[in-house]
Amino acid sequence: MTVFKSPGSGSKFVLPRRSLLKGGAALGMSTALGAPFINRLFAAEEHPLAGQSIEMNILGIAGWVPSSLGVKMSPLFADFVKEKYGYNVSFAFAEAPFSDLFQKAATSLATKSQEYNIIISDSQWLGALAKPGWILKLNDVIEKNPALQLEWYSQTVVDTYMTYPDGTKDIWGLPQEGDVEALYVRKDWLEDPKEKEAFQAKYGKPLPQTFEDFDALTMDEFEKIAEFFTRPDDQRWGFAQQYSRVYDFATCAFNNFLWSRGGEIWDPATGQIEGILNTQQNADSLQAFKDWLKYCPPGATNYGIAEGIDVFTQGKVFSTIQWAAVGSAMITEELKGKVLVVPPPKHGTGDAAKRICSMGGQPWVINAFNDEKKMRVAIDFMNWWYQPDTAVEFAKRGGNPCDKATLSRDDFNDINPWNQTYKFMLEEGRSRDFWHDPKYSEMLAIQQEGYSSFVTGQSSDPKAVLDYIACAQQQILSDEGVAKTAPSDACATTSL
Amino acid sequence: MSAIPSRPPLARLFDDRRTMVLTLLAPVMLFFIVFNTIPTLWLLGLSFYNFSLTSGMPPEFIGARNFVQIFNSRNGIWLDLSRTFTFVVCGVGIQTVLGAALGFLFWGSRDMPGRRIALTMLFAPMVLTPVATGTFFRFIYDPTFGVLNAISNGLFGTGPIDFLGNPSIAFWAVLAVDCWMWTPFMTLMTLAALGSVPKAELEAAEIDRVPFLRRLSLVIWHHGKFILMLGILLRTIDSFKTLDLIIPMTKGGPGQQTRLVAMEVNKQAFESFNMGWSSAYSVLLLLISIAMTSVFIYVLHLRRRREG
Repeated sequence: MTVFKSPGSGSKFVLPRRSLLKGGAALGMSTALGAPFINRLFAAEEHPLAGQSIEMNILGIAGWVPSSLGVKMSPLFADFVKEKYGYNVSFAFAEAPFSDLFQKAATSLATKSQEYNIIISDSQWLGALAKPGWILKLNDVIEKNPALQLEWYSQTVVDTYMTYPDGTKDIWGLPQEGDVEALYVRKDWLEDPKEKEAFQAKYGKPLPQTFEDFDALTMDEFEKIAEFFTRPDDQRWGFAQQYSRVYDFATCAFNNFLWSRGGEIWDPATGQIEGILNTQQNADSLQAFKDWLKYCPPGATNYGIAEGIDVFTQGKVFSTIQWAAVGSAMITEELKGKVLVVPPPKHGTGDAAKRICSMGGQPWVINAFNDEKKMRVAIDFMNWWYQPDTAVEFAKRGGNPCDKATLSRDDFNDINPWNQTYKFMLEEGRSRDFWHDPKYSEMLAIQQEGYSSFVTGQSSDPKAVLDYIACAQQQILSDEGVAKTAPSDACATTSL
Repeated sequence: MSAIPSRPPLARLFDDRRTMVLTLLAPVMLFFIVFNTIPTLWLLGLSFYNFSLTSGMPPEFIGARNFVQIFNSRNGIWLDLSRTFTFVVCGVGIQTVLGAALGFLFWGSRDMPGRRIALTMLFAPMVLTPVATGTFFRFIYDPTFGVLNAISNGLFGTGPIDFLGNPSIAFWAVLAVDCWMWTPFMTLMTLAALGSVPKAELEAAEIDRVPFLRRLSLVIWHHGKFILMLGILLRTIDSFKTLDLIIPMTKGGPGQQTRLVAMEVNKQAFESFNMGWSSAYSVLLLLISIAMTSVFIYVLHLRRRREG
């Protein structure tokens, strides 16, 4: 190499500029080309699973769009870990309908099996899964993984999907899918000039047209709309909601009435149910819940989620209260642009009118019996699930994320037609979940039986039905040691 | 003198009749003990414990408290049992009468063209899974788009009938499906019973011009009653356990109108995971099943005892 001596440089040696540029370019190129390999080698050294292949199993809810999204997006996770940590992961999936999923999960976990490494649980199951030690407590995991230390959209998210026992700091789940109750209405029917004119002529007020109009609507006002669109001769009805005895269908729909009208289902601090659930006020709410059957199609007492979707998409009902999570099933290709998703109407009148609806949605929970490798993958999966890109991708595919950053994006409301209502109802005080107690299943079964008995006419006195439910549930919690008091003597005479 | 060929040791083992009987019975006994006796004893033991899978607590011995709770429960076993007995008596009764009638019809029409196809079609409901049948009938019964409503409304102008949601109809609607499914079984048993009647005796009765009812009681019933009663017994036991048909149709509703005993056991054991309570309930149901079976067998042997 020729070394030139520059003028005035004394004894210093200077490299020629061309060589410097060549050398710099070569170094840059080699760094750019070699970086992924160096990163991978580095990652491989860093991650204990680098170079290994792991098979994971996810248990989810059959026929439930958000649950299937978690499953469908898992190949993206496989690509992510392959790139970032240098290991291969493949997923197998098992599923069961809502009403049978807990049974499937519990019977497997009871045998300390790692048949399902990650489970999409329902929110009420947290206690039943956590108390026997079947799922991993996540406090330490969250502490060690900054990506899991997210700011959630509201405290409701934490209370519903993460915490057991209620009011403590013990975390057992992380939100897989947020969900709230929404009112789906036929926008095209509302916008029909003939309908608008006819409604104005009959009731002396215009049909609501926008999110804001429906936000201000009370049940009394909405009843007129439901009545207006109820035309059995044309095979059309004004409204549908869930009255079915299956799983928690009637309970979730009735709780919208109960809470919005000022009632409570229990006192979580004392476990007291008798005297709180079976009040005259709640009995009136139960009667009001039943009264809406007159705007529903025949057979609505058997309506669950699927039946509600069917009658809405078949154009048999003007409106239905349904979960935001099934938005993509409710708004089919034919109905795109014809459906408005708005908050359910308020109960009461004037300033006292309020709406408190049931929370839906499911948390991820991790099998406590996973071996070290599968546990590590499960935690990597959680870290990936809450990455901003993953959360946005989930939303774009029709899912409902729960973190504040994603929900606060300027474009979030425009991603899906139900997003504005989802966000609105997720705000604190507008939605709530019911008990997370390990005995939830028993308590729920009694309640479903009672509500079904009343709405179908097998029992005629709503107060007697609530007395029966409250006494039976009080007995369950008393036997469990959660309730401080046993059922009163008055309970001896209650029956359906 | 020719040498007696030596026999393999396994063959020599069966020379002794007692050893042979024990050897042949052993696999069956082993299967029976492992899959029947031990679980039953386990069930019996568990019925005296308070044990919930989801409580995270070990089983606690509580004596007969589970049984006391079951007997004292306000909406419990008594209502479920009375509903189940109604289901069993009506269901098995209808299936026996219809099955026997169809059996005689097919028995007397051996030369009818298309008999085999008709029989195959008749037996089809029996081979369907009850869950699938229940799901189909839920749609057939649907008041909005169900075919049964369309027919009844079209023919008689009945308007929509909520077969599975109306408390006064739901039980009978489910029972009708059970009859649709299981009448072919009783037809099959009737055909088997009729097939066991000796032809010679039937022909003799015919030559003697014995009236049909006398032939029925003296010849047919005499030879076929064991098979027919076996069919009734099997249907009774099976009907008593009905669960998989009801779950897809009504889940026990509306209210409790179609809640049979098996529903309650399923709910307590596999939804609420109350293993102690559900074991106690199962023990009671087992005793009831044994009692019913004993009554059947007693009635069946009554005449023989009288004759003896």
